[in-house]
Amino acid sequence: MEQKLYVRALKFFLIIVVTILFFFPIYWVFSMAFKPFPEWTAAGGQIFWYPHHPTIDNFRAIFSRKLEMSPIAGTAIRPIVNSLTVSIIGTGIAMVVGVFAAYGISRHKAGGNLPFMLLQLRMFPPIAILIPIMIMWAFLRMIDTWYGLVIIYGVVTLPFSVWLMKTFFDDIPKELDEAAIVDGCSNIGAFFKVVIPLAKGGIASTALFVFILNWSDFLIALILTDRRWTTIPVHISKLQSAMVGALYGPKAALAMIAAVPPIIFGIMIQKYLVRGLTFGAIKK
Amino acid sequence: MAHIVLDSLVKRFGKQTAVDKLSLEIKDREFIALLGPSGCGKTTTMNMISGLLKPDEGDIYFDGQSVIGTPPGKRGVGFMFQNYAVFTFLNVYDNIGFGLKIRKLEEDEIRRRVNEVARLLQIRHLLSMSASALSINDMQRVALARSMITEPKIFLLDEPLSNLDAALRATMRAELKKIQQEAGQTAVYVTHDQVEAMSLADRIAVMNFAVLQQYDTPYNVYNRPTNLFVANFIGSPTINFFEGVYKKGAFAVSDFKDGAIPVSRKFHKDVEESLTQERVVVGVRPEHLKVRGDKKGSSLNLKAKIVSYEPLGSKTVVYMHPDGNPDVIVKSVMGSGYKPKLGEINFIDFEEKNVYLFDKQTEDLALRFS
Repeated sequence: MEQKLYVRALKFFLIIVVTILFFFPIYWVFSMAFKPFPEWTAAGGQIFWYPHHPTIDNFRAIFSRKLEMSPIAGTAIRPIVNSLTVSIIGTGIAMVVGVFAAYGISRHKAGGNLPFMLLQLRMFPPIAILIPIMIMWAFLRMIDTWYGLVIIYGVVTLPFSVWLMKTFFDDIPKELDEAAIVDGCSNIGAFFKVVIPLAKGGIASTALFVFILNWSDFLIALILTDRRWTTIPVHISKLQSAMVGALYGPKAALAMIAAVPPIIFGIMIQKYLVRGLTFGAIKK
Repeated sequence: MAHIVLDSLVKRFGKQTAVDKLSLEIKDREFIALLGPSGCGKTTTMNMISGLLKPDEGDIYFDGQSVIGTPPGKRGVGFMFQNYAVFTFLNVYDNIGFGLKIRKLEEDEIRRRVNEVARLLQIRHLLSMSASALSINDMQRVALARSMITEPKIFLLDEPLSNLDAALRATMRAELKKIQQEAGQTAVYVTHDQVEAMSLADRIAVMNFAVLQQYDTPYNVYNRPTNLFVANFIGSPTINFFEGVYKKGAFAVSDFKDGAIPVSRKFHKDVEESLTQERVVVGVRPEHLKVRGDKKGSSLNLKAKIVSYEPLGSKTVVYMHPDGNPDVIVKSVMGSGYKPKLGEINFIDFEEKNVYLFDKQTEDLALRFS
């Protein structure tokens, strides 16, 4: 049935409104990053909807040794390296543990109540346990270390990796493992030769998800790091000065840079993100 | 090459007993079918033979040697799964050669054997194709090739034809049988389809609720079913059962108004001896039960009303209610020329030699009148 014109117009209108709503912050960060100081500061009381005099001064500023306007923030190179290090290692921990645990839970019903206990970890926000953890970490001298942060990242995202991977493993018919075992594989051999290749898509998308969680974390890094291991989100928050307040221009520039790794990662694994690789192995 | 003995196997899943004290002997080169409804334990049995499951009790012997401690890959079994379990991330060649690669054979040897099996199953043209692009028919052949390539002495097939369409199923049935005979393997075939079991197997093991009901040739399973379950499970349309009591040389069946089925004098003693008590179930297969307009020449006075029928071409299946009981369906298989009239009340007739007599108490076959 042909839709009435006004119905279609309304639909398009709604789509456009929602799209603007979602894209505006991205646009705002993007445009802000290229605005010179007078355009991004709130001082003039004037809003610039786009950079009238585009400049890369903001990028220069965040990478300079000493930020002129803010004495507390140093160069952003170290936080970028830090963020990459802790996010990648934290994701690695969550994925390695998560994949093995999920396989055990999915195939051998291992762990009894463990899967649900893991899920309970998500019932309260991580911040609720951060104070005790900070105290423990202080005793263990793990504040402001990469491993102190990485352990927490791995643990906090573990429920996601376990439960996401479990659903992917559940989707792989167990006859495929069994066929490999009858063909001479050991249990572990079947896992690596058959199950892992089939779960590649799931592993990739779970890893991306976990990576984004770790990458965008602010609270944990804020509390558990101080100077040497501050991450990008923490560094962004430090970009302010007594004179001008928040340094929106440099903040936007760093936020833009921060968006790059997840995007690259996403493009890299794009072909695995299409679910349904395992469908077709089996006629249901 | 391989003679299999299952010795009182027991497998439990939690509180559920999946297989209960199963003992079977499968001769070398024999083709046997495990037949039964869903959840009767046939696939569990198969998985125990292959080694994928460990029995809780009992033992399994291949050629007199216990294989309980042997991992599946070393038992010399080929397994074909119902859903084929083709590895979609590999191409057809790698799928077929998978087992050989695991066994670390030379690349040349693998190529030679894959080509050989592919030729046998006429899938050589598919070898370089991705397995995910295969049609269901080709996938079935690839699965067959993969389970054959290691030259197993025992071939386990778990409902391998149930995903195919009817026409192809018949072709593949013949092909499977031929391949098994040529390769000289012992084959165990799991199915819930009695036609497959009857047409393929040398012997059929009928299972229900984890227990083996009967293990015999297709002929005997049909003609001498050990109990009500087997009689009911084998045969299509299913057998007619009439409950009643044995009294004074006749069965009085309650579904009919004048439901007397007389027994010839020479069988009186046999009937009395075979029953533990007087309550019986009389079984008559639809193909032996005829619909007649009159009762000429018949000793029976059983009337039934035709309620529906299925003209199947080569035969016509007629469904009737016995006059005394609209809840009971009586089935009859008539010739293709038979034209039933709905609502018509007819006599039904069958010969004594075609009657299966069951003891109502034990549900076991008591007697065949032949």
